[in-house]
Amino acid sequence: MPHRGKTSSTDRLFGALANPTRRDILDLLLDGEQTVQTIADRFDMARPSVSEHLRVLRDTDLVREEQRGRHRYYAVHPEPLVGVRDWLSPYERYWRARLTDLGEVLDDLAGGEQP
Amino acid sequence: MTDRTSIELDQFYPHAPELVWRALTTPELLARWLMPPDGFEPRVGARFTMAAKPIEAVGFSGTVACEVLELVEPELLSFSWDDAAAAQPSGWVVSFALRPEGRGTRLLFAHRGFDPDSPTAQLSRTIMGGGWRRILAALGEAAADGGNGA
Repeated sequence: MPHRGKTSSTDRLFGALANPTRRDILDLLLDGEQTVQTIADRFDMARPSVSEHLRVLRDTDLVREEQRGRHRYYAVHPEPLVGVRDWLSPYERYWRARLTDLGEVLDDLAGGEQP
Repeated sequence: MTDRTSIELDQFYPHAPELVWRALTTPELLARWLMPPDGFEPRVGARFTMAAKPIEAVGFSGTVACEVLELVEPELLSFSWDDAAAAQPSGWVVSFALRPEGRGTRLLFAHRGFDPDSPTAQLSRTIMGGGWRRILAALGEAAADGGNGA
């Protein structure tokens, strides 16, 4: 399988996303921005652990933080995923199109078999 | 947590499993929705190739080499899926599981076996893991807003 030349940012993105806890955090943030404490409570984790995960996500720009008053709020920033999606999507797009074509073949077959 | 290295899709067809099965296992019909197979037979161990368009983005040469792995009429068909030009087998398996549902058939499709160490596989696993459809939906919204982080 040929590898792409540009791997560094993609590698970091993979690394960030390879961790199930970080994916769960992203999933939670999709419901809206959260503070570290809220995330820690939600996952029953110590705040430093959450902060470390958030740091990794921030480094890949998947999450952005904003200081408001005494709290920092974290929100999903999905744009870095554009490249990831564009890279994988040929397969999924391909198979979706095939399954749609299969449906048309089935419709034809069934139609042709009506007495 | 299960290590998912697959693309999974499911699709309902308002047709009996027997008809879907026929479309999956008849070369002339496969040609109409997938690719014209060369050498396909509905028996385990049958080897065949299919010619497709190359997919440059994923490094696919255009010829797929397959071997039928499972065949349970009219429930399950799976075959290996390798790039014929690749030096090593990919370990990819494409499977079609048929479940009767009402008057129709639910087809559970999977493209499995992405090598957990390859970048493509890591990517696939990552993107296909839990919650990803929502993230991709959010991404779609971001794109619609004209967001461009590149």
